[in-house]
Order: sequence, then C-alpha cells, then structure tokens
Amino acid sequence: MWKNRAGEIAMNSPNPTFTPVGQDALDWLGTDPVPAKPYYDPEWFELEREAVFRRSWQQIGHVCELPENGSFIRRDLEVLGASLLITRGQDGEIRAFHNVCTHRGTILVDEDEGKRNTFSCPYHMWTFGLDGDLISAPDFESFHVSKAECALPAVACEVVGGLIFVHLGKPEGTLREWLGPYATKLEMMPVARATTFSEYVYEIDANWKLTYDNFQENYHLRFIHPSAAGPVTSPDNPFAYPTAYDFHGPHRSQRIWTKPDMDPPTGVQAIAFQRGAVQAMADGILGTETAKDYLGLFPNFFLFGSPMQHFSHTVYPIAAGKSRGVIRLYWIGEDETPSERFAREYFMATARDVHTEDRAVIERGHKGLASGALKHIHFQTQESLCRHLFNMVAEKVEAYRSEKEGAAA
Amino acid sequence: MSTQTMLPESFTALEPFAVDWALTGSAARAARRGSSTAEERQAFYAAAAGELPRALDYLDGKGFDAFDAADERLMAMMLSLGHVALAVEQQKDAEPRHARDRAHMQITKTPAGA
Ligand code: FES
Ligand SMILES: [Fe+2]
Repeated sequence: MWKNRAGEIAMNSPNPTFTPVGQDALDWLGTDPVPAKPYYDPEWFELEREAVFRRSWQQIGHVCELPENGSFIRRDLEVLGASLLITRGQDGEIRAFHNVCTHRGTILVDEDEGKRNTFSCPYHMWTFGLDGDLISAPDFESFHVSKAECALPAVACEVVGGLIFVHLGKPEGTLREWLGPYATKLEMMPVARATTFSEYVYEIDANWKLTYDNFQENYHLRFIHPSAAGPVTSPDNPFAYPTAYDFHGPHRSQRIWTKPDMDPPTGVQAIAFQRGAVQAMADGILGTETAKDYLGLFPNFFLFGSPMQHFSHTVYPIAAGKSRGVIRLYWIGEDETPSERFAREYFMATARDVHTEDRAVIERGHKGLASGALKHIHFQTQESLCRHLFNMVAEKVEAYRSEKEGAAA
Repeated sequence: MSTQTMLPESFTALEPFAVDWALTGSAARAARRGSSTAEERQAFYAAAAGELPRALDYLDGKGFDAFDAADERLMAMMLSLGHVALAVEQQKDAEPRHARDRAHMQITKTPAGA
C-alpha cells in the first residue's frame, strides 16, 4: 500500500486523533500463524488455478479499450493457459471468446488490439465475426459439421463500472452478485467514466499472493517508502494505518487515513498537484464519497478511489513463483491542456516510483519463503486483509481438494 | 554552436537542456532520468523547475492544436522535468539504487504517448 498526498489539497476534513481498527472487530479471521507453503509451493499453485481462478470473475480490461464497434483486444491469462479475444460487436455489445480457431485450435489473433469486422485464422482461413460466429471456411462442404457448431467458444464476460471481467468456469451468479455492495462503489468511482489511462507493467519472481499482500498492508510503508511516507505519517499514526476495514464475501476494502495537518507539498510536486486539482475539479471527481476507498476484489484486483491518482493494480499469476503486475491510472478525457498532461505524467511517474520500491522487496520476500526455511508466517492485526486473502484462498482450495477426492473415491 | 533555437523565444535560457531532455514518449523520458547522472539532473532541475509554471501557462495559452515544433519540445522538456523532479525532490541519495529497481517497471501506455 501507499499513501497519496493528492487528495489532501481539496479535502481538508480534519481528523484530529487516529484510532486504529481494534483486534476485536477482526477476531473472526483468526489469529493463528499462517502456513508458508501456499506462498511458494507449485502443487498448491496447481490447485489454485482451478479452485480460485477458474471459479472467480477476473478483471481483464476496461471498456475504453474498445471504443468503437469492431474494436478488439487480446488478453492472455497464463494462470488458466488461456488466450482471450474480447470484442465490441456491431450491436455495441462486449463479448469474450477463447482466441482459438475451432477448426484445429490455432491461436486466431496475435495482435494486442485493433479494429476490424472479421478474424481470419492464418492456417486454413476460417473466418469469424465479432460475435464469434463462423462466417466462412474454404471448402466447408467437405466437413462433417455445421457452421453453427463452429462458433468461437464464448467466455462469460460482464462489465461493472467500466471494468471488464471474465469468468472461465461456470459462474454461480452475475458479476454484480459476485461484487455485492462493491459494484455500487465501482460505479461511483472515476473508473466508471474513464476514457483513457496510463499503464505500467512489471514482472516479478514472486507468488501472486505475496505480491498482492504487499499492497494491502501499510505496516511496511515507513520502511520501504521513506520519501513518500514521511509527510503522510504522524506520531498518532506512525504506520499510516487505515481508518476502517470492510469485508464482503471474498472481497475486502480499507479506508485510507489522511494526515490532518500534512505539510503542503513544495517544488515541482506542488505545481503538479495544483495543475492536477484544477482538472480533477473540472471532471467533478474531487471530494467524492469513495475518494478514500481502496478496494481489493478477489482474487487479484485493487482499485484506489483517489481522484487524482485513481489507479488499479492487477496481479496476474504466471507460476507459483512468477507474476505480472499491471498498474493503470484511469483518466477522464484525453489531455485537454498541457497542464493536465504534465500532472498526469507526474502522477504516473510518482506511482511508478512507489511501486518500484514495493516490487524490489516482494521479490526478496519470495526468495526467502521459497527456500522452505519457514513453516509459518505471521500477520498482525493491521495485516488482516492479508489474512483474509489467505483464508479465502485456503477455503476454496480445500473445498476443491475434497471435491476432487470425493470424485475419485 | 548552432544559432538555431529549439525552444520558443521566451525560453532561451533552457536551450542548453533541450537536446537532452526534450524527448518524445513517457518511457523515453523515464529512461533518460534513469540513465542520467546526479549532476545532469541537478543542472536541469536548477534551470527548469522555476520556469515550470510559466512554461505551462504559456503552453496552456497556446493549446495543443496551435503547437509548433518548438512548443512540442518545451512540453516534452517539462514532462521530463516531472520525472527528474522525483529524483531530486523525493528520492535524493536513493536515486541510483532506485533507478536500477525502476527499470523493471515498463511504461506501456500514457495519454501523452508512451
Ligand atoms: S486451424 Fe484455423 S483454419 Fe485451420
Ligand atoms: Fe508499498
């Protein structure tokens, strides 16, 4: 996790004394040490693929990436070995398919994104429409199947708050049901109106849970982010712990604490905040109710409501000890003025600096864990979101394991 | 030295920095910060930080549609200044080690052009 100073400029709601969330409210999560193995063990990771990722809605993109009818994006989800093709049809609908030609399985599209009405497989020229239907295939009369049976395999795909989610298993309900009250939060956040974004990506030799956990505790802030933490911590909250935690099913959130008497920024940073605030004001995203909400949607997605550094972070698992992080700062409208361009580039670079510090220490953490030296790791009260993630994953893995054993017996 | 100027007239004081810092693309600007020396960053920051409000006001007054090549370069330089300011104002002595770790964070898209 990290703190932002940006929100401060416009919102001077004094918050004189800080009271951390007490352990009483979190006792239901347990207090035992947590087994270390699930954070590096390849066998556990194999179970997570099916138990967690096959059975969850996963955030995969944003509607602004599909601006027109005929727009498409390709996304690889390594954890399920899947390549997905996501399109906006002539009817404006967003759909997702396995990016796999139904003739003999060739990957259909290899561009990352683009715009077109049909997709032709390079192998034998089977051609599909934006709705996945097989439109034409050379010498199709010689096959023993109907075109209707040869549509691209559809993947469940739904949108909330502008964010596109896919489900590669059999969803038990709608995305909205899965998200519960957080669906409404997403819709209130700037992401729901975003038209563009800044993005940076990192690869990391670390387990996805260890990586994700770093971003749901503030305990490390003052040690790993000394320059960013200095101005946002205070004697009554030296770790900049959040003011509240909230849980809904497998999801969780925290409300970010902001130091009431924070020194104003100086130098170039001050100019970036001033110029950025003008634009955020114009976009009507300052002082919104969700500005301090930091949502963690199971299994691997974060969104921070901050109006000027409104970022999402998805941690995509690749292997037990390898992940990829994608961070996006969502913006409303293209750069309208040079000042806005400046502020956006500065905020992107600021977030990237902070995440750099996180990445380095997470990799170091994985190396230690993967040595097998520890049987357990420990979470304190203010690391309860990490504990909640572990509990949710363990519950799903255990349920999957007993189903499998039940089926085998 | 060439008498050709690269920047708008009223920003001639920044001319010596234009070649190094008027770079196209957010990733190139971030990379230039990463490969710069502390002396280069300090000199650029000392010359440009005080000019930032005036430069942004000037560019805002023109608007993107009216930009000429000199304006584009001034814009790009100010965007580079944002990156450099993070090194000078925030990271300070930690910048060299930070630069090494930062190389893992690949900028793939920005509204300014990655
Ligand atoms: S595998 Fe695609 S057309 Fe044959
Ligand atoms: Fe952090």
